[in-house]
Amino acid sequence: MGSEPITLTIRPAESGKKWSDESLERARRIMARYPEKRSAVMPLLYLAMAEDGRLTNGGMEQVAELVGITPAQVLAVASFYTMYKRERTGKYLISACTSISCMLTGGDDVFEAIELESGVPHGETDEEGLISVEHVECIGACGGAPAVQVNYELIEGVTPVKARELVRWLQQERPATINTDEMQRHFGGRRSFDWAVAEEASAVGPYPAFQPFGTVGGVGEGE
Amino acid sequence: MGVLTELLKGLRATGSVLIETVTGKEMLTTRYPKEMREKPQRFHGRHVLNRYPDGMEKCIGCELCAGACPARCIYVRGKDNDPENPNSPGERFGFVYEINMLRCIFCGLCVEACPTEAITMTQLFEFSTTNRGDAIYTREELLMDTDGNVPHMFPDDPLADMKELLTADGWLKATAPAGNASYEGVQTWQGTPGPASWDPEPDQETRDS
Amino acid sequence: MTARETEGVLVTIDGKEVRAPEGELLIKTAEDNGTYIPRFCWHPRLKEVGMCRMCLVDIETPGGSMMVTACTNPISDGMVVDTKNDRVKKAQEAILEYLLINHPLDCPVCDRGGECPLQDQTMSYGPGETRFVEEKRHFEKPIPISDLVLLDRERCILCARCTRFADEVPGDPLIEFKERGYGTQISIFPNQPFSSYFSGNTVQICPVGALTATPYRFRARPWDLKAVESTCPHCTAGDRISIEASQNQVLRFLGVDVDATNRGWLSDKCRFGFEYLNSEDRLTNPLARQEGGTYEEVSWGEATSIIAQRFGAIREAHGGDALAVLGGAHGTNEDAYALSVFARDVLGTKNIDCRMDDALGTRLLTGIDRRARISDVDTAGTIIVWGPDLKEEHPTLYLRVRHAVQELGANLIVIHPRATGLDDRADLKITYRPGSGSDLLTQLRGGDRDDVNALLEASPVVAFVGRTGYTEGPTMAEAVASWILELEDSRVLPLARRANVFGALDMGVAPDLEPGRIAATETGRDTRQILGGLASGDIRGLLLVGADPVRDVPDGSLATSGLSGAEFVVAIDMFHNDSTAHADVILPALGFSEKEGTVTNIEGRVQKVNRIAPGSGQSRSDWSIIADIATALGSDLGWTSEQEINDAMMARVPAYAEASWDALDWEERDGVVVPAPGADVPVYRPEMTTQPTVGAELVLHSARKLYDDGVMMRKGPSLHRLAPGGFAHLHPDDARRLGARTGSAVRLVTKRGEAELPVQVDPSLHRGVVYVPFNQPGVGPLGDDPVVRVTAVGEPD
Repeated sequence: MGSEPITLTIRPAESGKKWSDESLERARRIMARYPEKRSAVMPLLYLAMAEDGRLTNGGMEQVAELVGITPAQVLAVASFYTMYKRERTGKYLISACTSISCMLTGGDDVFEAIELESGVPHGETDEEGLISVEHVECIGACGGAPAVQVNYELIEGVTPVKARELVRWLQQERPATINTDEMQRHFGGRRSFDWAVAEEASAVGPYPAFQPFGTVGGVGEGE
Repeated sequence: MGVLTELLKGLRATGSVLIETVTGKEMLTTRYPKEMREKPQRFHGRHVLNRYPDGMEKCIGCELCAGACPARCIYVRGKDNDPENPNSPGERFGFVYEINMLRCIFCGLCVEACPTEAITMTQLFEFSTTNRGDAIYTREELLMDTDGNVPHMFPDDPLADMKELLTADGWLKATAPAGNASYEGVQTWQGTPGPASWDPEPDQETRDS
Repeated sequence: MTARETEGVLVTIDGKEVRAPEGELLIKTAEDNGTYIPRFCWHPRLKEVGMCRMCLVDIETPGGSMMVTACTNPISDGMVVDTKNDRVKKAQEAILEYLLINHPLDCPVCDRGGECPLQDQTMSYGPGETRFVEEKRHFEKPIPISDLVLLDRERCILCARCTRFADEVPGDPLIEFKERGYGTQISIFPNQPFSSYFSGNTVQICPVGALTATPYRFRARPWDLKAVESTCPHCTAGDRISIEASQNQVLRFLGVDVDATNRGWLSDKCRFGFEYLNSEDRLTNPLARQEGGTYEEVSWGEATSIIAQRFGAIREAHGGDALAVLGGAHGTNEDAYALSVFARDVLGTKNIDCRMDDALGTRLLTGIDRRARISDVDTAGTIIVWGPDLKEEHPTLYLRVRHAVQELGANLIVIHPRATGLDDRADLKITYRPGSGSDLLTQLRGGDRDDVNALLEASPVVAFVGRTGYTEGPTMAEAVASWILELEDSRVLPLARRANVFGALDMGVAPDLEPGRIAATETGRDTRQILGGLASGDIRGLLLVGADPVRDVPDGSLATSGLSGAEFVVAIDMFHNDSTAHADVILPALGFSEKEGTVTNIEGRVQKVNRIAPGSGQSRSDWSIIADIATALGSDLGWTSEQEINDAMMARVPAYAEASWDALDWEERDGVVVPAPGADVPVYRPEMTTQPTVGAELVLHSARKLYDDGVMMRKGPSLHRLAPGGFAHLHPDDARRLGARTGSAVRLVTKRGEAELPVQVDPSLHRGVVYVPFNQPGVGPLGDDPVVRVTAVGEPD
């Protein structure tokens, strides 16, 4: 039978650029906190997002190399969690909780209000690259439900009206710094959550916000 | 004495049939080949490989016909479709398709086995050959043209009747093509080779509304 | 011991009381006792995961009956199990209905259709109807995940067999689930193919047609295939395979689960290394060289008489020792025995060798004291690998060692000049310069390395000993084996390449052994001396049997000069190759799957190979060609079938008496281990020798990769393109000193050859070592002398 062999050849691409020495140093500090290197995958993925503005293939390859697993295994982790953004997000990422506590107290309405006011549906970013909208599972603020996060900074007791105000404020004021207290004052209601564990290694939260407080609102400027 | 009576009785029956036949009252013999008899609807004649209305081949080279064939007269080999220029919908097409008509017993199991209704039988039965090689029908001879005509092996033969190749055997289908349970027991058939003649199954929304 | 420990625990399965070891998985206990519980994700050679839920059964608990997965629940005393009641049936129907929600049912175009566990179990346990009428999920199909494997995500039922295999067995977790949740799918990392040497196994264990192999894709359907069990022709491990063929063409090899050897796994070289059998380049007729160097087809009779006349003339004029025989390690034991008898009794020569100057001493390979079995690694305390990279040259042994270290807790010491596949599991990895192995050995033997001493405390010690590379002579391995045997409770498994090299040596295809591993009274010339003798004119006639010395002998230029110096060369082969180009008569031979016989693996296990295809053109078995030549030379050997040779062989080699065809075909399908070294043959104790250290600044390390430019690879399109090509691997320090970097070119000059190769900087190398993979496309031979001069060429681009 003279049938030709099918040729569907793929070859490994050249691996991407390396991280900065500063990031590598931070990665080493994070890995040192775990008895097994591969346990550090998740914080290192945040670091990878900080490095490139989103989770790139190169970033995942770098994480794999650091902790000694294959990039496919890193992708398996990264693709499971919604916090790891493989697409570029806007300057402000608005996450509305629609899990049970928030849903019972009107979280769905809050989310709809955000969608309608911003004109951005779930999982997408506006054309300008300013606002991304998503609904998320529990963000640990059930006591102050319904809750919304902007760049992972929490606002509790949000109403649909306040949510619309929040979107307009972000669009008009374009604050350089997202501060949870400030937002809570203007757009929040009853608050339940007033404590937090200090983050030492500074490797939580994706782009755009990184540090829990006083974060500069992202790499988006000047790009 | 009794024997003679019985003999006469028998001869009377013979005589009456003889008279009926000679006078043409009930003629069983036709003057073939000048006169063709009407063939039953489900007559099993020569096979044909069909196409979809858009010209794509129906055969996907799955070899189920070859697997079902009790005479082992079908030889099929599949091959990858060129994604740019596919022969059939999907990944695979039958790039070798041969039927040895000398072995075929025209049972129609291949037709029943075919998941895409690619192979059907026509009413053509006059295709004797003078050598064994010619009795092996290949893909080129079995596959219908894109215009819906079926290649006749001996178009110049005085017996050639193109109509026979364009009449499919009305083979039974117990269920609808997509296996919809509500069609169970509904018998449908296709009177001509070529594109399937039944309507596509309604989608969920249409059905619900 | 309590009754529970000796007889196991009592379990009631569907009213039948059975005993099994406590802790065994319920699904296995049931299967061993005749109750099949349907399953997709569970595989006896993989860890249980409980993903598919197909094996739900009812067990009785104090709180009433409970549904559990049989594949994750170990049995315990007094367990009462129901695998067939209405609740279980309902559960099975529901699971199948769910699995089929998104399964495309494109069975007619699916390679698995007809042998598909999902099809079979849906027929046996499925509901027959579905309540789901929604549109199925769609993915692009199929997508390549490696050069050999295609993935169809629509068909995948997410059993994780492939991902678990890749992670657990070969340690190549290059495929994983991504987008877990509603969108779960198997995926590679973008642009990082699943380029495992063992990727083909995932195709075999996939319970649906989600993974298909490019060499088999759409070639046939299961009902076309006829199958025969046989033994893999690619490496010495003697892996059991099933050869499947249709229309007289071999279309695939499947691994057969035999505990003694491969446990069902095969490397891709074994699995897809059948394509050469169907190559259009196969020789079909005897060829004789004409004036002017062209070949013309001749009849078998003409060819035989030319050979008899020329060999006879040489024998008459210069004696039998002016003739030599090379090869025979790729055939069966019967072929080898015929060749050995032919050479000694008909040609009258002792110059016969099946090793291509790349193996170890014949006595070390066949007669060593305390020779290990493959299964010894399972009970080993410490495993030492001082030899070739097992992953590249002995892939299924690599899996065995990996399993022993990873799952059974053996210590592992790997000693090799560069990175090997086992490094990530090694407790200790030592790299050294070829040419200074003796220094390292002296250190280890003197007990100077505490890390080694500590690991060696766990006994028994099982050592795999071979040549790490071709620039290291075979005496180094003898010394290593000698050291191992000095240790208490130790065993040695000597390594060599070519499928049936051990069988051929047992049959006396060696200059210093007669059939039956008996040391010859007079030693003939080995391959190197034969080639030297041909070049100098001492030897005039040569018979090549499935051998390509130009490619296979490490010193390729010696082989070329030898073959071109020969007066008359006959080649029995399947293909034209670089060596047959020097032949005066070429005879077409039958290959693997085209002849019946026995083969012997690395541990002395004799197994059957069987015939399923007729072979190309007028090809014939080696033994029958040899018998005809013998007859034409005036000595009728009287053989008319392989069976007769087998009988003669068993009479002459008492060790093989247990391994008759009948026994291998019926009672002993997994083979018979012939006693080592043999009934009345004295055991061999390798000598401890020391080699002078090579003082050169850079030394060459030349070793094989799994895929190379050998003729069996070259004639198989799927595998040959996987050969990595020629590279010069340099240590970063050496590269810096030479002004070379990855991608730039260097020129290598050795005593026996030279080459210009692209550089690959390789930090795993020992300093001062240049590694060049042996026999890669486009690389000439560099010889086996370790001294190499390296200079940078041009500007790096």
